[in-house]
Amino acid sequence: MKNSDGQLYTIEGFAAGLIMLMTAYLVVNATSIYTAGDTHISDMQLEALGSDALTIMSTPTDPPMYISNTNPLRMIIESDDEGKFKTMFLNLTNNRTGAPLDYSNADSTMDYIQFNASYSCRNQNTTAIFPLSYSRNLTGGEHTVRATKWVIVNKSASFCGTTNKDRAVLVEVLLWRD
Amino acid sequence: MARLNDDAQWIILMGFLVSFSFFFLALVINQSTVVGQTTAESVIEFPKTDIRDVKQAIGQSMKTNDLVTVKDDIKFLSMNRKGSVVDYWNFTNNNTTFIRIHYNNGVTEYNENWSYV
Repeated sequence: MKNSDGQLYTIEGFAAGLIMLMTAYLVVNATSIYTAGDTHISDMQLEALGSDALTIMSTPTDPPMYISNTNPLRMIIESDDEGKFKTMFLNLTNNRTGAPLDYSNADSTMDYIQFNASYSCRNQNTTAIFPLSYSRNLTGGEHTVRATKWVIVNKSASFCGTTNKDRAVLVEVLLWRD
Repeated sequence: MARLNDDAQWIILMGFLVSFSFFFLALVINQSTVVGQTTAESVIEFPKTDIRDVKQAIGQSMKTNDLVTVKDDIKFLSMNRKGSVVDYWNFTNNNTTFIRIHYNNGVTEYNENWSYV
């Protein structure tokens, strides 16, 4: 005679197996999405950090003077001060506790945010792009994000088709982590 | 026929409870990463800092010595370097300057009127 005693236990076993399979599926699925999500999150944070640094740099030290010469970023562009931009930007983006970083040492084993900055202006109907400053050359393999900032400058000499006129230029910074 | 033994029903029930709680915890982990990704994507996509920045530049441009040139600069570079349409109009009445800004990068369109003394 066929024995049908353990039917309930068999059904229970199937149910438990299905639950375990579903759980494993959800967990594996979650880790595979995590990689893509992770890139977006760090990109967003790096972009926000770069924008904040540029905003700090273009804040006039004498607040009431809207477009005055006390705007550090404006002064940097007007004098093409590559070194000052590098020092300010690296300090603002890499500030942390502990010993200060040695930016001058390219072989430094320390991990810090690198950048490559330029600014563009309009010359008649073309865009002219000038290099501003960089912490290291781009090799093409970096995963960079871009932060931009508008600055109104007046480079006394002939600049982008005009002389002694206020011009709006766009500062663009590519930044990445090594 | 021997009667089915149903002594340990409570233990089995608790076992089910525990396995279901694992299931829902896994669901929470699964959803939390998606939330992080979509939030970061929408933050990157929404041009909040771009709009603030161009608004600040337009405000500053009102005090420059050549409004037309600066306006052309902002419109031209916005299109060529940022891929966005920017335009603005301003007039002054009774010492109050009124500015109307239009911004459109294909995804987000933004218009604003503001005035200052």
